Amino acid sequence: MGSLSVVEAVTVDRLVAWLSAFRDAVHEHGDYLTELDSAIGDADHGANLIRGMDAVMAAVEQSPGSAGDLLKKVGMTLVTSVGGASGPLYGTFFLRAATAAGDATVLDGPALLAALRAGLEGIVARGKAEAGDKTMYDALAPAMGAFEEALASGAEPDVAARAAADAAAAGRDATEPMLALKGRASYLGERSVGHLDPGAASSALLVAALADTLES
Amino acid sequence: MIGIVVVSHSLALAEAAVALADEMVHGEGPVVAVAAGAAGGFGTDATEVRRAMEKAASPDGVLVLMDLGSAVLSAELALELGPPSEHAVRLTAAPMVEGLVAAVVRAVGGADLETVAREAEAALLPKVVSLAEHTPRPALVAVEADASARLTLVNPQGLHARPAAQIATAVGGLAAEVAVESGGRRADASSSLELMTLGAGQGTEITVSAVGADAAQAVAAVREMVEAGFGELEAS
Repeated sequence: MGSLSVVEAVTVDRLVAWLSAFRDAVHEHGDYLTELDSAIGDADHGANLIRGMDAVMAAVEQSPGSAGDLLKKVGMTLVTSVGGASGPLYGTFFLRAATAAGDATVLDGPALLAALRAGLEGIVARGKAEAGDKTMYDALAPAMGAFEEALASGAEPDVAARAAADAAAAGRDATEPMLALKGRASYLGERSVGHLDPGAASSALLVAALADTLES
Repeated sequence: MIGIVVVSHSLALAEAAVALADEMVHGEGPVVAVAAGAAGGFGTDATEVRRAMEKAASPDGVLVLMDLGSAVLSAELALELGPPSEHAVRLTAAPMVEGLVAAVVRAVGGADLETVAREAEAALLPKVVSLAEHTPRPALVAVEADASARLTLVNPQGLHARPAAQIATAVGGLAAEVAVESGGRRADASSSLELMTLGAGQGTEITVSAVGADAAQAVAAVREMVEAGFGELEAS
């Protein structure tokens, strides 16, 4: 609304910085993610995302063109390098976000939200997850809601991203008492209760990395 | 002849399953392409699955068998990578090992994609039926049902995997215990495996009974699906 905030719009370089921050976060919290995954899964989530994000940062080093080109490269790289269920899920997230972002080289708040939302819808289509299934959806869906609400109330993208990060963290925490209904954790039934969902935890890191990047 | 793709978290698992199925082939067999493992370990890679789909491509179509969850995610994503295939590509819920053996046998016999898929999906049935004898369970649904109906299966294949799953999904969310009875056997309608053990084929009369708040709704839902032939009638 006429304010001259430096983060009114998000450039492709900013998106690369976001991915880099996410790569750093999965390195920093890799053991933690794997620990969460060892409680209810196959104990590879941290290692998988570290491998995936290292591959992503190597792939995007050569300056990509549009936001769509960048996000597509990210998605394809994750698909081929991650291996676990997070490969096709995060891969789909970025591929769908790429399609929504298209040829744009700068995303304003609503365009960024539209890309993220398209990514979330891709995850829903891929994983058939619903609220309360104890998945990454439980962190990402509230994050998108908070992002949208903040933009609607006139907030800049950095403020909206922080609101989204807070909502994602709360969503992640809310997965602890949930019974896993999707993925390999669902084989555990009641034993999945009392643990945070690793996918929700890494998703919260992804949104937090966005907020950190837009604030810096 | 149709082509077949096996998507597995493990290359060793996929190759062994293919070798096992290959024992059933004497003469020319179908192309069976494998997409298994990722980044040197367990996992699946959608781009590998896409390549396998292209390798197994046939004008008669391609049947894709998968092991655990993310194999399904990767196979679905593979369909979206690149332009749509010129020929039919069908992902099947069939169990990977049993389904692959059944699929290879039927493919060699020249069956079409639809038939091979159906046979693969029913491939768990012999095991389910033989083990059901060993697992007696308490009778389901009291004699005094709140709602019941006698229905005749009109679809060509009866209660095979897909219709059984449709019934189980429909009644699973309702506040009712629902039983399906046929030929003196009784199955919990919320379990597609139990429904398959009835071995109820086309023309079989089944009795659906339910107790609970949603009993009438449950019976009506099953009736509607049975009478509509589980959406399979338009093909016949």
